Amino acid sequence: MANHSMAQPTHVQHHFVDSDHQFDAAKMGMWVFIVNEILFFGGLFCAYIVFRSWYPDLFQQAAYELNAVLGGINTVVLIGSSLSVAMAIRAAQTDNTKGLRINLIITILLACVFMAIKAYEYNHKFHLGIFPGAYYNPAPEVLEHLSHPKANVFFSIYYMLTGVHALHVLIGIGLMIWLYIRAGKGHFGSEYYTPVEITGLYWHLVDLIWIFLFPLLYLIE
Amino acid sequence: MSTHTHEHHISTPKQLWAIGIALTFLTILTVLLAKVVVLPEPFGIIVALTIAAVKAFLVAAFFMNLYWDSKFNVLLLLAAVVFFLLMVGVTLLDTLYRVDVVPSF
Repeated sequence: MANHSMAQPTHVQHHFVDSDHQFDAAKMGMWVFIVNEILFFGGLFCAYIVFRSWYPDLFQQAAYELNAVLGGINTVVLIGSSLSVAMAIRAAQTDNTKGLRINLIITILLACVFMAIKAYEYNHKFHLGIFPGAYYNPAPEVLEHLSHPKANVFFSIYYMLTGVHALHVLIGIGLMIWLYIRAGKGHFGSEYYTPVEITGLYWHLVDLIWIFLFPLLYLIE
Repeated sequence: MSTHTHEHHISTPKQLWAIGIALTFLTILTVLLAKVVVLPEPFGIIVALTIAAVKAFLVAAFFMNLYWDSKFNVLLLLAAVVFFLLMVGVTLLDTLYRVDVVPSF
């Protein structure tokens, strides 16, 4: 029996039995959100699959425009940031506020490296006139090896998938900054670290999506 | 009511680094298998997606802690995968068997 007269930690809201109950409910809620996110990205992956099945040669030609080295570096950067988030959660669980803040900073920096590389890639493509959909206006050097009439369709899919993913990275950076500030106020420790855990799950999801994006977009031969 | 004090799993730094290194190794492997040793037609994509699936498993099980977590959360993730495959499958039943691809697409 839950003893309601017993003093609960201040973070426990009155509609939960105890801290664990609240933690498990929050985590399950996040998993439901992750299901929604997977199906949201799933729609975009579905578009990718349909168009690749219709125009396999287009995807081979167009992938030439993507830099696998930069994509690969970004993959490793995101893996590193997932590792630092996992270390941040461990630090919170072991009452190591300093470790938590250091790992959040590492995560934020790695996320910024990811965004910088992404911005460089986008900028390079814009420079060559590679815009999505109706705005596709390729430079002559692009047309030399990419003459497919549906080339704009590939880049629409590319920009939607990587753009929505990059939006998630930006939101993640915001969340990490929020966690960093709260960690500085001493809000998190082994008793209560739910926001760190939940943001961690979100960040790993961002990594998971990229794990599939990278080979599907950059590694078509 | 919950009289038990449910212990949250705490990974050691060694475990976390091992997963991170494994993921990096698999990334290098997938690049090598696509760019250096180019596999024949259908196998390139199969191998790339298999490696991606292994990486996804490592992240979900050991970074997202599903390995130690409530089975219901595992079920949620698997349900998402099943419904994604259903969405792709039903869509392909249409798009693969059209007489003509819609010209304006």
